[in-house]
Amino acid sequence: MVEKFEVMVGNKAVAYAVKLARVKFISAFPITPQTTIVQYLSDMVANGEIDAEFVTVEGELTAQASALTATAAGVRSFTATAGPGLLYMHHPMHATSNARLPLVMAVMHRGVKGMQPDHSDMMSQRDTSWMMFECENSQEILDTGLMAYKIAEDSRVRLPAIFAGDGYILSYTDEPVEIPDQGKVDAFLPPYKSNFPLLPEQGLENQKIQMEQWAVGADEQTPWKNQQDAMDSAKNVIKEVSSEYERVFGRSYGNGLVEEYKTEGVDAVLVAMGTIASTTRTAIDRLQAEGKKIGLVKLKSFKPFPAEEFQRIAPTVKSMGIIDRNISCGSGGITFSEIRSAIYDVDEHPKTLSYIAGLNGKEVRVQDLMRIGEKTLKIANGLVVTPQVEWV
Amino acid sequence: MSKPVPLVKLDEKEHIASANQACQGCAGATVAHIIGKVLGDKMVRQEVACCGPAFGNLYQPSIYAEIFEGAGAMMTGLNRAFKKMGRDDAIVTGIIGDGGTFDIGFQGLSGAAERNENLLWICYDNEAYMNTGGQRSSATTKYAQTTTTPIGEFSRGKKEKRKNVTAMVALHNVPYVATASVAYPEDFIGKLEYAKNLKGFRFIIVSAPCPTGWRVEPQYAIRVAKDMVLSGMWPLYEVTDGEKFRLTFKPKELKPIKEVLKLQGRFRHMTDDETEELQDEVTSYWAKLIQKDGGSFQ
Repeated sequence: MVEKFEVMVGNKAVAYAVKLARVKFISAFPITPQTTIVQYLSDMVANGEIDAEFVTVEGELTAQASALTATAAGVRSFTATAGPGLLYMHHPMHATSNARLPLVMAVMHRGVKGMQPDHSDMMSQRDTSWMMFECENSQEILDTGLMAYKIAEDSRVRLPAIFAGDGYILSYTDEPVEIPDQGKVDAFLPPYKSNFPLLPEQGLENQKIQMEQWAVGADEQTPWKNQQDAMDSAKNVIKEVSSEYERVFGRSYGNGLVEEYKTEGVDAVLVAMGTIASTTRTAIDRLQAEGKKIGLVKLKSFKPFPAEEFQRIAPTVKSMGIIDRNISCGSGGITFSEIRSAIYDVDEHPKTLSYIAGLNGKEVRVQDLMRIGEKTLKIANGLVVTPQVEWV
Repeated sequence: MSKPVPLVKLDEKEHIASANQACQGCAGATVAHIIGKVLGDKMVRQEVACCGPAFGNLYQPSIYAEIFEGAGAMMTGLNRAFKKMGRDDAIVTGIIGDGGTFDIGFQGLSGAAERNENLLWICYDNEAYMNTGGQRSSATTKYAQTTTTPIGEFSRGKKEKRKNVTAMVALHNVPYVATASVAYPEDFIGKLEYAKNLKGFRFIIVSAPCPTGWRVEPQYAIRVAKDMVLSGMWPLYEVTDGEKFRLTFKPKELKPIKEVLKLQGRFRHMTDDETEELQDEVTSYWAKLIQKDGGSFQ
């Protein structure tokens, strides 16, 4: 069967994911570069393509909190934001995950210290117990949106999820995108049911989870422990959903956690997230054409963080160059810290180098990535390389 | 237009647990008791941070989230989800304090009112952040002593006048806005009965004295609430269809507010001049309301 293709921008790919997922509640508030997502959705609702409550709320806090209760009451819900809008959602996001609600949200990255894209907005939310999936093109956005609902709603997970793309870069760039068949999507993603419905006749049934956390004698750490356990189980669920998606729709992004590109027999890898991973593919192609043994590991799932994947890759390479489009000032690149910590206990672990790149939308060119690829290879070949942390 | 409902007509079925975390004499607990009975089995309740979850342990389903400012947002989500599920029969209700209504929740209140969300927002007004130990809110009456507006050489209690949120909500042209008092349950029940059968955004603000915060002997909480109505400090009215204004109770003669203030420790420091200033405001606002009675609110 020939699937339908359409040339569309990333923000429209988000809207298609929402439509195909048969979302019933959408809370919408504008913020660049997310705004056109809710514009596309408003059109789709207006012309009957989507049968959803479309609520034009008065701010992102309300966008998050209203989607929280809509999900609790029993309808599949969606919202979208970027940059400062995501920060404004911060504390209700904790409430959403604490209530174990599988709300899915699109984030088109916008930095929090400037308008251009970087991952500082999402990284500011890294401890909210939300899953976070990063995409590098419009097709991946659409596919990841659908997978995100399936993963979030899985009974072994029941945590909210962000699927994200670099704002501006993906928001406004046209690319051909294959639109999956609605019937296949319906079979892949069954209707959503709330674990804690709130209908009048249900009495205090929904408060069981609250009581579990508040009950006298309960371990005060229970909510955090449960959310950590759910994140751990999510790793397998992500792999399962990724395989199923590949079986049904013919596309996959590694195993859903990481995607390896030309890593066979290499001495070193670069690690990148989002659109920088796309540019890195070209750099890797060119370096390998020159006979240089370096590949790419694309980090697709930032939360749960796939520590085991890096532990698996660690003994196979001599160095890792980790590119962060974010920084935790006072520490450093966030994925660099996570990866280095993950591989520390692996006996044969590679040397690591940190690259801070693309903050505030600073352009990251193929030649920049080729240069840092070569630098990463040098340390693999036993040379002393400084500095360990480089601002690209 | 609402009609007072005699207490004897209230459903005998109890919806509130007999165990309760309220302070002695808490008017809020009585407010919740009444709401539970009037709205009955169709009520679905949103809770936010305030005394409400402590004094109002009702059996109707409810959801609590640690989002103090989120009452308007979260009730919006419930309302729209129920609509989509074909369950418009559920009465989405909030029993929200004055802080969550006047201050931190005000944006969400205005947003939900502007969108005319189908919900019933009941603000139990105890004029301060009582759940955290009695800090001033914008609902606090001028000169009141609170834990953040103490009396000292350089402070006479709260400096600012009380915010008139009821009027602000009415200006959103919503289907129903009313004031009520715990001391006038027939009037309050009548307003709840009327509101529960309407669709759209409905707002009832109930005077609910807090003996702990107001420094009133617990047995006088209802008396203080009653005197507030009799003095004109807490006028009982309703605005229907976004416009029609009606006083639902008109005392023949207003009791001097001095009589009301003297029962409350929070006003005990007030001078005659300060009392007179408040009295003048109450008198002139009452005169305005009398003029509007039976006509347009705007």
